[in-house]
Amino acid sequence: MTTEAPAIELSRGRTGARGWLGAYVAMLRWEVIGSRLLYPLLLIAQVLVGAGFVIGFGLLVPDLDESAAQYLSTGAVVMSLILVGLIVTPQLLAQQKMQGSYDYVWSMPVPRSAALLASTTMAAVVAIPGIVAALVVAVWRYDFALSVDAAVVPAFLLTLACGSLIGSAIGHAVSKPQVTLLFTQLGIFFIIGFSPVSFSVERLPGWLATVHQYLPLHHMAMAVRSSLTDGLVEVTLLSWVVLSLWTLVAGTITGAIIRRRR
Amino acid sequence: MTAANPDLGLRSGSGFWLAGYVSMLRFEMRNLRTYLTIGVAIQVLLGAGMALMYGFYFGEVDQDQWTFLVTGIPTLALVPIGFVMVPNAIMEHKLKDTYDYVWSHPVPRTASAVATATIFTLLALPGTVIALVIATISYGVDLDISWSVLPAVLLTSATATSVGYAVGHAVPEPRVISLITNVVMFVVLLFSPIVVAIEQFPDWWAAVQRIMPFWHMSVVIRAGLSEGLVSSSVVASYGVLLAWAVASWLVAAWVVGQRR
Repeated sequence: MTTEAPAIELSRGRTGARGWLGAYVAMLRWEVIGSRLLYPLLLIAQVLVGAGFVIGFGLLVPDLDESAAQYLSTGAVVMSLILVGLIVTPQLLAQQKMQGSYDYVWSMPVPRSAALLASTTMAAVVAIPGIVAALVVAVWRYDFALSVDAAVVPAFLLTLACGSLIGSAIGHAVSKPQVTLLFTQLGIFFIIGFSPVSFSVERLPGWLATVHQYLPLHHMAMAVRSSLTDGLVEVTLLSWVVLSLWTLVAGTITGAIIRRRR
Repeated sequence: MTAANPDLGLRSGSGFWLAGYVSMLRFEMRNLRTYLTIGVAIQVLLGAGMALMYGFYFGEVDQDQWTFLVTGIPTLALVPIGFVMVPNAIMEHKLKDTYDYVWSHPVPRTASAVATATIFTLLALPGTVIALVIATISYGVDLDISWSVLPAVLLTSATATSVGYAVGHAVPEPRVISLITNVVMFVVLLFSPIVVAIEQFPDWWAAVQRIMPFWHMSVVIRAGLSEGLVSSSVVASYGVLLAWAVASWLVAAWVVGQRR
């Protein structure tokens, strides 16, 4: 007598837009539940860093004038957007690699792009309180007049996407988590201290200013700052092009790495 | 046949203490050799890097302000060694489970503690000098160096190391230590009157800073590096720093002296 083995039901909807969306939502839940203890801490840190940055440098800089105050305030917003993508994303990936959960996440039956986008989404959500805190503090301390125009949407999205994609390219590509962590530490120092994010690019020595014409940081700051203020800076087409190029390249590299089979 | 009596030697007295101190110095030096090299690199990077970075944020200020900034750099270079590296080095012993092992050495615990403090105090010096030289050159500042900078730097370094030592031993949880060191660095870099005058801060925060050690560290070192920039009492600042050092020694002695 032979019995027929029960057919294993392969989950439907593993392809197509609906399947992808379902996977994205599932990975979003996975991210939220998996890091639920981390998010409150990250939120607090983001708020403190965002607000502390605006207040702290405002106190330190002697004779802070209005445009310098505007630079600082918008710089804090850019900083929050950059840090979650460029710094927190590779740090979380390095942590996954150290804990050994990196391969496990990739083994899940979801499109890898859905998993990647889910973690980027969470990084963006975490950035919001820091941005709001920086702006609220800026308005309160410097009578900062916000003048938001429509470019704010592409500016924020492109900055975030570019940072997150570069961050994940590094986080995925570098196999040693310690190297990733070292890179992020140096990265924070470079972004805060040596990038024209919170002060105008003219203050940098000429060669460093030239380097920043090719890096995305300056252009991120230009795009965001120009969309939040009136008359401080004017973003040029060049900035959008450079940002788009970096996003494209980082996206291609990340895409190639996460598709790789081992 | 009788077992040979092991020679236990004389385990007290100043000669024994000194021998213990010297061997613990060697022990810690070898134990931390990679860490110490990285430490000097971080210190130069942080110290000189911060000098340049503050310059970008300051924009155009007068020459006195630059001198003020440059004379604050040694303090900025010394603080991370004491407040970050020392507790982290102790934390690493706790994480690697070598903490109890170090205590089990047949040397007086004070000798071990003083050896650690000595190493980190001395380690801090070269990086501090390099950072100061880089900052002085990049801002073209004329310093007026007097002999009093020596005790100032030594006391600052010793105080920072002592506080870090007490924190490292007194706080059992490694994650709390790393939280404390992060908060300290944030406060020191953004909210402390080290590279700018204390008058720039709101009164209540200036009052807090007069109790904390950071401002006093910058005062004693600045007084040794310049003429006429320090308007507050240098003796009082020495007093506050000494009080912090002694308080840390008491805390450390209490924690280290406990038997479990």
